Amino acid sequence: MKRIKALIIKETHHILRDPTSLLIVFLMPILMIIIYGYCINFDLNNVNAGIIDLSNGENSKKLIKKFMNNRYFTIEDLKEKHSDPLKEGEKLLRSGYLKEIIIIPADFSKKIEKGRKTEVGIILDGSDSNVANLIYQYNELILLDFQDDFQNLNNFLKIKTKVLFNPDVKSSFFFIPGLIAVLLLMITTLLTSLTISREKESGSIELIFISPLKSFEIILGKTIPYIFVSLIVEVLILLFGKILFNIPFRGNMMVLFVFSILYIITGLSLGILISTIASTQEMAMFATLLTTLLPSIMLSGFIFPLDSLHPILKGFSYIVPATHFLKIIRGVVVKGAEIKHFMFEGIILTIFPVVLITISNIKFSKIRERSK
Amino acid sequence: MRIFYLVKKEFIEIFRQKELLTLLFIAPIIQIIILGYIVKTDVENIPIEIINLSKSKTSYRIINRIKNTPLFNVKHISYKNRDSINTLKEGNVKAVITFRDSFDKNRAMLKYPEIQILMDGTDSNTSSIAAGYFNGISKKYILTDIEKMDKKLSIKNKTLIRFNPALKSINYMGPGIVALLLTIVSLFLASASIVREKEQQTMDTLLISRLTSIEIYIGKALPIAIIGIINMSFGISVVMIWFKIPIRGNLFILLISAIIFLYAILSYGLLISTIASTKQQALFFSWFSMITFILLSGLFTPTENIPSNLQFLVKINPLSYLIKIIREIFLKGNGIEYFYKDLLCLSFIAILVISISILNFKRFTSK
Repeated sequence: MKRIKALIIKETHHILRDPTSLLIVFLMPILMIIIYGYCINFDLNNVNAGIIDLSNGENSKKLIKKFMNNRYFTIEDLKEKHSDPLKEGEKLLRSGYLKEIIIIPADFSKKIEKGRKTEVGIILDGSDSNVANLIYQYNELILLDFQDDFQNLNNFLKIKTKVLFNPDVKSSFFFIPGLIAVLLLMITTLLTSLTISREKESGSIELIFISPLKSFEIILGKTIPYIFVSLIVEVLILLFGKILFNIPFRGNMMVLFVFSILYIITGLSLGILISTIASTQEMAMFATLLTTLLPSIMLSGFIFPLDSLHPILKGFSYIVPATHFLKIIRGVVVKGAEIKHFMFEGIILTIFPVVLITISNIKFSKIRERSK
Repeated sequence: MRIFYLVKKEFIEIFRQKELLTLLFIAPIIQIIILGYIVKTDVENIPIEIINLSKSKTSYRIINRIKNTPLFNVKHISYKNRDSINTLKEGNVKAVITFRDSFDKNRAMLKYPEIQILMDGTDSNTSSIAAGYFNGISKKYILTDIEKMDKKLSIKNKTLIRFNPALKSINYMGPGIVALLLTIVSLFLASASIVREKEQQTMDTLLISRLTSIEIYIGKALPIAIIGIINMSFGISVVMIWFKIPIRGNLFILLISAIIFLYAILSYGLLISTIASTKQQALFFSWFSMITFILLSGLFTPTENIPSNLQFLVKINPLSYLIKIIREIFLKGNGIEYFYKDLLCLSFIAILVISISILNFKRFTSK
């Protein structure tokens, strides 16, 4: 214990000696939560859609009105502005200004009056498949709604939809807790990923090697001081997230706090493992980015729902720490879930650091052996 | 020709870190392949629970339809009422759909059940898609019923999808991820390169040599640029050959834009490296800038969603222009007349950053 303490003191000196870095570490998450919190969201709004109404009848006008009343679409009448609306529309679609062109055929209104089958032509920009899918869904809904007006389907079937936990369907409830999880992992991993590789680069690792410290003592001594730094970072992130984005904390803060300590330690141990393997700081940094950025964004449920992932990737998502913490933080913050809902996640987040530290210990001992 | 020796020295220094090189070339490719192959950004398989209290014929038929769509994954069907709110809190299902017998006389005639949907609103995107889709399924079902009763009215939605007809997300993400790689690789190498000499105290050796400061600067930049270009060509080939993503536009313009971008990001990295006093500072700062560049580039989320008073962050972000240009060329096959403005902005940013970076380096060396 005494030896670990000495190492902790040394490492703390190291942290405090470089105030610029420390300042970056504290300022970075605040800036990140502010910038990304405001800038990243998935809401679909202001879809510019061009309309070419060849029918010009009462019914087609009703349909156009339906599109106009939808809050997602901004409708532009192409026929009014251009002599060759289709060609001009294609050009605007190509430039990305328009996302779709809706063409109502000439016999539309008449056919509807007579109750005959008719169709609506739509040219959709598919480049962003996600957005295209959403727009397609909205088109379908509007068309169904239009038919509804003629046949009063609601008289036949009653569907009551109630959205729980987030009645206004605000995406910030989804993104901000997710962002907190992703940022915490990235920052904690980053913190420790440089510690051992830095000593390797400057050669001072030899001094540690020949000391009487056992390998696991070195590993622990390198990790523990950063727990405090990370805790400060975490409190800062949570605080700014709550103040700026009005996220309700429906659950118990203590529950979140306990799990976040596990999560922080997971991040720090991942960093230590990277640091033991990497021989230079830039390599450690690069590895950190590869292991935290893309997996935490794409495979954790941060943006893309986990249930929609391919089964292989879904299996893979279990070894991404952010997956589990995301579930916890979203549950506690938005749904007010309790500790009993997260037994599985809690166990996994305990296993992570143990496994990571053990592997780093083995790796570190090997390197030490080799240098003798 | 003196630069040549410096370039050679830089290459030796980079190649000495063998693991780094492997990581630089192999890891990103593996990531593109894994992500590109299996990541679908489409919403599918939303886990739901069904409580069928109605047990009527129609309810079974509608449930069958729900089971057959890829959008929903029916985890559990029960015939007794359960505490739905607790089910949602547990988080294993995203929605609970309850079918009740309706006592409304108007509807009783046709024996349609009353349907109640309880949604977990945490993931706002998924829940609004699911709700809309469910409405669609049930209404369509009734429409076909009505059609049978000879009260036809149907409007067909004939949609033609341009640029990415199969709606494959890899076509959209793949080319963008190549740009991301270029950013990561060049920014890291650049931001470490000058500060490394400072930390090892070899900077003075370079300074007292006969090399002018411009020569040192170019000698530092050139090897990284070469590695960046190789890395990117590698990435583009993987995207084109492995995923068979067609390149519809002009490959040459794509390369020119990428090189302009590369210079901008490189000199930005060198600027960080000149200002920082330890490698740790340089790496922290480049890490932070990199993530900001990436997240605000439109790669993952559309830039149109960024509030207008923060749009300037997109405007000063070189990566956002490159990603836009890459997508225009790859997916839409657009000619330069569609994105010459983006190319001009990118070049302007590049010139600005390069001059600041060189001036700063000159000031640093003259001290």
